Amino acid sequence: MTGLVQNAIDALALGSLYALTALGIGLIFGVMRLINFAHGDLIMIGGYALIVPSSAAAAVAFIGAWPAPAMVAAIVFIVMLFALACERLAFRPLRRANPSVLLITSFALSFFLEHLVVMIYGGRVKAVSIWPELLEALPISGVRIPYLQIVTIGVTIGLLVLLVLFLKRTPMGIQMRAASEDFSTARLLGVRGNRVIAVAFAISGLLAAVVSLLYVSQVGALTYSMGIPLVLFAFVATVVGGMGSLTGAVLGGFVVGIASVTLQVALPVAMRPDRDVFVYGLILLILLMRPSGLVKVKSIEEKV
Amino acid sequence: MAGPDTEGGPAGLVWRLPVVGLRAFWTPIVLSLGVLVIVLAVWASGDTVLALAVTAALIRAVMVIGLYIFIGNSGVLAFGHATFMMVGAYGVAWLTLRPFNKSFALQLPEFLAAHQYPLLPSAIAAALLAAIVAFVVGIPIMRLSGIAAAIATLAVLGMFKTFYSNWSEWTLGAATMPGIPIYVDMWIALAWVVVALFVAYIYQRSKYGLALRASREDEFAARAAGINIPRQRLIAFVLSAFFMGIGGVLEAHYLGTIAVKNFWLTITFILLAMLIVGGQRSLSGAIVGVVVISTLIEILNSLEAGMNVGVAVLSVPIGAQELTIAGLMIIILVFRPDGIMGGREVPWPFGKAGRIVRDPGAVESEHDPLRRGLAQRDSAP
Amino acid sequence: MMERLARRLRPARPGAAALAVAGTPEDTLEAFDVTVHFEGLAAVDGVSISMRNGEVFGLIGPNGAGKTTLVNVLTGFQRPTRGRVVLGGEDVTGLSAHELGRRGLARTFQAVRLFRDMPVIENLEAAAVGTGLGRREAARRASRILAWMRFAHRADDWADTLPYGEERRVGIGRALAMAPRFVLLDEPAAGLSDAECDELMGLIAEIPHVFGCGVLLIEHNMRVIMGACHRIHVIESGRTVAEGSPEEIQVNPDVLRAYLGTRSGDARG
Repeated sequence: MTGLVQNAIDALALGSLYALTALGIGLIFGVMRLINFAHGDLIMIGGYALIVPSSAAAAVAFIGAWPAPAMVAAIVFIVMLFALACERLAFRPLRRANPSVLLITSFALSFFLEHLVVMIYGGRVKAVSIWPELLEALPISGVRIPYLQIVTIGVTIGLLVLLVLFLKRTPMGIQMRAASEDFSTARLLGVRGNRVIAVAFAISGLLAAVVSLLYVSQVGALTYSMGIPLVLFAFVATVVGGMGSLTGAVLGGFVVGIASVTLQVALPVAMRPDRDVFVYGLILLILLMRPSGLVKVKSIEEKV
Repeated sequence: MAGPDTEGGPAGLVWRLPVVGLRAFWTPIVLSLGVLVIVLAVWASGDTVLALAVTAALIRAVMVIGLYIFIGNSGVLAFGHATFMMVGAYGVAWLTLRPFNKSFALQLPEFLAAHQYPLLPSAIAAALLAAIVAFVVGIPIMRLSGIAAAIATLAVLGMFKTFYSNWSEWTLGAATMPGIPIYVDMWIALAWVVVALFVAYIYQRSKYGLALRASREDEFAARAAGINIPRQRLIAFVLSAFFMGIGGVLEAHYLGTIAVKNFWLTITFILLAMLIVGGQRSLSGAIVGVVVISTLIEILNSLEAGMNVGVAVLSVPIGAQELTIAGLMIIILVFRPDGIMGGREVPWPFGKAGRIVRDPGAVESEHDPLRRGLAQRDSAP
Repeated sequence: MMERLARRLRPARPGAAALAVAGTPEDTLEAFDVTVHFEGLAAVDGVSISMRNGEVFGLIGPNGAGKTTLVNVLTGFQRPTRGRVVLGGEDVTGLSAHELGRRGLARTFQAVRLFRDMPVIENLEAAAVGTGLGRREAARRASRILAWMRFAHRADDWADTLPYGEERRVGIGRALAMAPRFVLLDEPAAGLSDAECDELMGLIAEIPHVFGCGVLLIEHNMRVIMGACHRIHVIESGRTVAEGSPEEIQVNPDVLRAYLGTRSGDARG
């Protein structure tokens, strides 16, 4: 029983990270049909912003040494700035390009950002520790739950609620939803495309920054490719959830997280290293049965 | 094969002579000759270091042609093709390692463990294995819409990479597998480039290639025209995987070692960059992209090592290579999304032979400005 | 002359088996009680039509009447909420678009949807290949159709360089390259000049004889409809208003009412 609770919380915490990442990708996809490969690199940049830029082997905390509120604000600010710069420099000129061109551009951008970091910080793994106290566990009736997992789940729920309120209640949020439904019509109706897209990138940057902080406190290390596994699972989550649906992205994120933890527990020990094989396999299986994902979106399908 | 349409017909219809011989295969012939010239020049120079670099570039050319067969004709991006390189490379290692080497760490079944198979049949068998893998994973993936399919191919790569890096009995896991016979030189790589060029071109001109290209242009119209899009995509995917498999095989026999970590996103990125920079929608673009990016890589490699330019040693930091390629790729995508070749093949330079026009409609309106259209677009791919 | 041309365009040899989809005189395309709901709204509501090989069947109605939706149902792009589609006596409801294409249903699109980055001739060849032809026969058929359309001089032009009116012509040629049993033309005259319309009308009138198929024609241009159609089916708000010969339709009070009600909003009328 206690094991089950522990696993459930593990699954929710992991699913939260995937869901937040998938949401950041899904928002951008909604407003401009771009699958942003570079989203993982925004997460990575949030991590590297914590330390002093240097290629030395030992990392020296920079923003990472600031008090928590200042640290969070600074990281969010930096990552948002990068997200907006990506939009302005790489994606805005391609606004009218087809989704394949956008996707491949974001792939190139991802490599660009990663190797920019390699040039500045070097390619080696760097240890970094923020909020070590979060890794301690809170014992609740025999179950030991790390504070970090509680924080992760709490922050995710909080952000989801805020995002829903934003999308449903604010004029900008409503415009964003309209743009997701049908981008060209939304523009005709007077929704200002550039601003909506810029705001979507800013929010996506915010989500990336949060994932960055949560992820770095958990793994305690930085590598230039650290965003890749997250973004791969988040991609898969958006496809499984149904491309273009934000609910689907969140749902897909949790499905992937839960599948990972469940397989980790259920597989025989000898097969555990192969867990991701089964996660990916499961996803292909879901797609075989539901090619348009769990939440089907009308506006994605072009009219004849 | 040759000769005018023998059925004749009412005077005034246009009969198109089947295009044959040199002209029909102009694109692969001229591309092969171009590559041959480069190889000959390097061979004549006697620069063995450069010859190695050119061999590596030729192997990548095989892979880019493989990638082109799917991406170029279908318009669907694929990020998972490194899977098929990996399957081909390990497949050929199982077949061609000496039994002595295999007995060290691998636990292969008897027919693999105790034998060493001849090189060419092994290469083909390994590439066929890659094609079979593509067929199996392609069945679900080819039913997806374009972008979802691109991402699903990533899932396939993630799946196989994880699997191979844990499948120690067959792959040595994450460790490097050494001892693969080294036999691939510039000439062998060149031969495979030529084979790949011709096969890709024949496919592209075949009814399957035509149907797939139509679906690339407009899925609805293609379906209305009776084209089964998932099936056409699958055919290209399997053929494409075969040549990716060959690419992996050549790489294994060129380096003599293989490791799972080399079949991941970096090689995927380099190959895609080559295809995009050259122009993903023509075979000529694929080759031009390989030449441009390979040259760039060579220059940057020597810069990273520190290049002596007389007065000073120029050097660039680690990471600059990928940074430059990525930057170039973004610039091309923004300013010339169809790549250097703009989606066209190398044009036939000798005017419009091979066609007789007897169209009274056109003759009657000799002055018709539309007729000028005849002179253009003669070098259709 | 026409018959000779027709012979030329039909299967050249018995060996070209893939051409055998071309229709027989008894061939029919029928829809029974077809209904399509979009989120509760009926775009098409209980429409039945029946057309034969050799006839030009007009489908008219105000904008938004459900004409294109009906064509989408007939060609497998839209699954009907209710009702059946029967081709030559065989129930083909719910078959996918490409399967229906292979069975001899060809269509054009309002948005034309040419294969833009391909030469004109390959647009036609791709459609011929899509119905199972080999490359060589496809090229031959495509050439003949272009010649018949007096369009051979544009064969090698890239499709995306054509002016609008010519795009539409290639769209029709592409549908015909499938050697269809029935071809469904969705507003082929939209945006054409009067002279172009007259030429198109002549072309459409010839199609049944030359290709041995039936033609379903959606059109707003009444001159084209009245000039080319044998029978006309009128729908409004998804429902059948009337069906009959051009003469009958012209004087039908229900049809007049349906049209008068929306005339001001219908710029193309």
